[in-house]
Amino acid sequence: MNGGSLGWRQRFKPSRFLIGEAPAAGPIQLDQRRVFILPTRQGLLFVLLIVLVLLIAFVYNNNLAYMLGFLLASVFFVTILHSFKALSGLVVRAGQHQPVFAGDQALFNFVLHNPGDQARPAIDVSLREPRTIRLRPGETQTVSLAVPAEKRGWLACDTLTLSSCYPLGLFRAWSPLRFDSRVLVYPQPAKLELPFPETDSGPGGQGQSKREGDEFYGLKSYQSGDPIRQIHWKAYAKGRGLHSKQYAGASSLELWLDYETTPGADAEARLGQLCRWLVDAEQAGRRYGLLLPGVRLEPDRGAAHNQACLSALALFGLES
Amino acid sequence: MMVGALDRRGLSFLLGSLLLITLPHGWHIPWPLFGFFAVMLVWRFMAVRYPGWLPKRWQLFLLTLLGVALLLSQQRGVFGRDAGTGLIVVALGLKLLEIRGRRDVLLVVYLAFIVAASQFLYEQSILMAGYILLVCILLLATLIVQTAERVETRAALKTATAIVLQALPLALVLFVLFPRLEAPRWMWLADDNKALSGLSDTLEPGSISDLSLSDELVFRVRFEGDVPPPLLRYWRGAVYSRTDGVRWTVDSSRDTSARPPEFSGDAYRYTLLMEPQKQNWVFGLEMPESFGAGLRSIHGFQLRSDKRPADRAEYKIVSRPFYNTGPLSPADYRENLQLPLAASDRQLALIKALGGGNASPEQFIQNLLNHFRREAFFYTLAPPLMPENPIDTFLFETRSGFCSHYAAAFVYLLRIAKIPARVIGGYQGGEFNKVGGFLEVRQADAHAWAEAWLENKGWVRFDPTAAVAPERVERGVNVDLQIASGAVNFGPLTGDSAALNWFKRGRQLWQSVDYNWQRWVINYSGANQMQFLRTLGIDGISPLVKWLLGSLLAVTLPLAWWLLKKPAKTADKPLLVYRRFCGKLADAGVVIGQGEGAKDFAGRAQKQLPELAGRIEQISALFIRLRYQADAKAGDLQRLKNLVDAFSVKKRR
Repeated sequence: MNGGSLGWRQRFKPSRFLIGEAPAAGPIQLDQRRVFILPTRQGLLFVLLIVLVLLIAFVYNNNLAYMLGFLLASVFFVTILHSFKALSGLVVRAGQHQPVFAGDQALFNFVLHNPGDQARPAIDVSLREPRTIRLRPGETQTVSLAVPAEKRGWLACDTLTLSSCYPLGLFRAWSPLRFDSRVLVYPQPAKLELPFPETDSGPGGQGQSKREGDEFYGLKSYQSGDPIRQIHWKAYAKGRGLHSKQYAGASSLELWLDYETTPGADAEARLGQLCRWLVDAEQAGRRYGLLLPGVRLEPDRGAAHNQACLSALALFGLES
Repeated sequence: MMVGALDRRGLSFLLGSLLLITLPHGWHIPWPLFGFFAVMLVWRFMAVRYPGWLPKRWQLFLLTLLGVALLLSQQRGVFGRDAGTGLIVVALGLKLLEIRGRRDVLLVVYLAFIVAASQFLYEQSILMAGYILLVCILLLATLIVQTAERVETRAALKTATAIVLQALPLALVLFVLFPRLEAPRWMWLADDNKALSGLSDTLEPGSISDLSLSDELVFRVRFEGDVPPPLLRYWRGAVYSRTDGVRWTVDSSRDTSARPPEFSGDAYRYTLLMEPQKQNWVFGLEMPESFGAGLRSIHGFQLRSDKRPADRAEYKIVSRPFYNTGPLSPADYRENLQLPLAASDRQLALIKALGGGNASPEQFIQNLLNHFRREAFFYTLAPPLMPENPIDTFLFETRSGFCSHYAAAFVYLLRIAKIPARVIGGYQGGEFNKVGGFLEVRQADAHAWAEAWLENKGWVRFDPTAAVAPERVERGVNVDLQIASGAVNFGPLTGDSAALNWFKRGRQLWQSVDYNWQRWVINYSGANQMQFLRTLGIDGISPLVKWLLGSLLAVTLPLAWWLLKKPAKTADKPLLVYRRFCGKLADAGVVIGQGEGAKDFAGRAQKQLPELAGRIEQISALFIRLRYQADAKAGDLQRLKNLVDAFSVKKRR
């Protein structure tokens, strides 16, 4: 699960403590290499308390007060181990992420698994805003953390920080984790509702009006991304699995969305407009193709096609 | 992260543990201060239910003024144990009404630990230590509830207990090895109003009979060899040589060391564990020959300690019952013949009748003791009041008194007869604790006797009380009966197992536990610690540091290993059960291959054992779900166990 041993230089690289080690693809189990511990302000105050109790013991030469001071000091020490225990052993992996439009919140999903028989009553999970969760022994829990998606393109997952001050709040154990996961951010759809750029290639007319005329064409096995309203529920109820209904009627209403002819002040505005049309066209049940400089997607429809087009927009002009 | 918000449970936890941690102070600090705290606590308790009841800012201000006024009216100083404790308790009460967020809660919990430490300044018994330990667990649980709001109460208490138990070995190591230094003298904080009883440097008519109704422990003695017989158990304290006719006082101007006497006879070696005292006398068995550092023998062979008398202390002393103090210096001679006024006619007549002046001093003293014995003198705890001329009144009119009356009158008459004499205050007797093997001497054993200086013999002890009531010296005081009845009571005649009923045995057992607690815990410091460490072979700073580090490692490494070991064992319970299943199949000749998955193996096994196919399928599916899938239910492991238990195959050869 974890890489090989670290060299000395790597081991003491400051970034390890805050940003974490190189991103991992698979699940990470927290161990002594990943968990760091420092006293909190409350912990430092506790040290002051210990000193005060020992001072009382010293002035009054009182052995039980000494004992209390030593006990508190030992509690302080033992709490370090408990702090480590609060995090160590947890298994974290990145879950599936859905693409989002720029301006929305990207949700990063993480699956936390608590092996063993120890409850973990307070674990803070944070990308930006911390969230406190509680894991029972053996429990697996998915945490979705929102990060604002500002720009189109790939949004890489920030360092995920797991931390806990459990049990006494004297120490904070934290573990910065980086995962290979990223969320695809589509361009922000333009606000303006421009009509579709109808071309001569297809028979004219308003797409919406033809929607009624769509005839049932056949069934294909369900693929993720197919609209829910096209699922053939009767077949599912009979236990034949999930199938999507296919319609043939819209095939004649092909729509070409061309970057060159799209209005817009700059490239981003054009992409935003294209994005808007893609969403609208899919909703209208039309067949549409996408033309970007160097990219050509033949007319089609369905969630998969829609995603392919949106992805092309998202990554247009960006590397990889 | 709910900063600022306080849940009810967290507050109730906090208030409950605060109540418990301050409760014992109800007996220690002035009642207006404790009452103030109690009102604040109850107020806060109510406010947990009705948050509107919390005081407004100006009300809080008035309450603070009230608290300060109470403090000023009740305290005599600013520093010191009582003043400090009062201050902390009042501040704690005020802070309670002003808890606004998590940080305030933490501050209150930390203050509570200081209160816990202050409890030990008043009492250091085993019970108090256990009580404070329990409340500390509660305080830690309060911290846990504050850190994790969703933790169950039981889990919080369990974790707090576990942390304390795991911390105890480490704390013990620190306790034993951490070097103790005595605080410098300027740090000794004055606390005048400690209610300690004991001998004082003035012997007044009622001072010893007051003590005789107290079963408070004064000191305990453990002898290395024989225990001296009751007749020799005179524990020497104050030497009263000056008198104004009513009071007898210690001549503190002569704080010089005495010339040691010549000793003869067998030595008694013993360890004396003194309880906190008002004065710094150490009550050695007459007559101390050698004693450790920290003790001085001053004028009149009084043993005085350098330590604070309010601390428990342990001393190793060697005493010998036979001694000759040698000649008397002119100054001593004068001092021990001092009389406030001329002798009365009645006194002179009595002395003459007893042969004073004609007979030898020894003979005169014998006659005087016989006089006490033969005439109708009574030994009583509650003699009639003798405000005027007490010696005469006692000798010729009331004729009933306590040991101090007899000793004072005896010395007074000797001085008139020109025999140097003085009154000695201390303790006589002591109860032997059979369980612990030590003598317990209580305030009720307080006693006064006399010493006369005789040519060639030096100072010789005479106990006029023994002439009147020999049982007092032979059998000692029956503390329980004396306190219960308020009258003189002596120990049982046999003083043996016949009278040692279960109650007494229980008390002795407890006393024995307490003795060891005092000796090894409360009193483990300074010389005591050095001596113990030397038996371990630690006789300097560098071995001490090595030992400290070594034992810390020895304690913490196993703890760390135990706490941090991988939870693999418990997580793989399903695997253990599955292995049992594989074992059963192996008996039937179907052996799981190295690295073979459960699914493949199940398929193979089903083919080879078609009659068991259903069972194999069931068990394998359950195992796979338990091991690899998150949706395993609580009862699945038990079901797997039951299935595997029930699974049986015919063995194939």
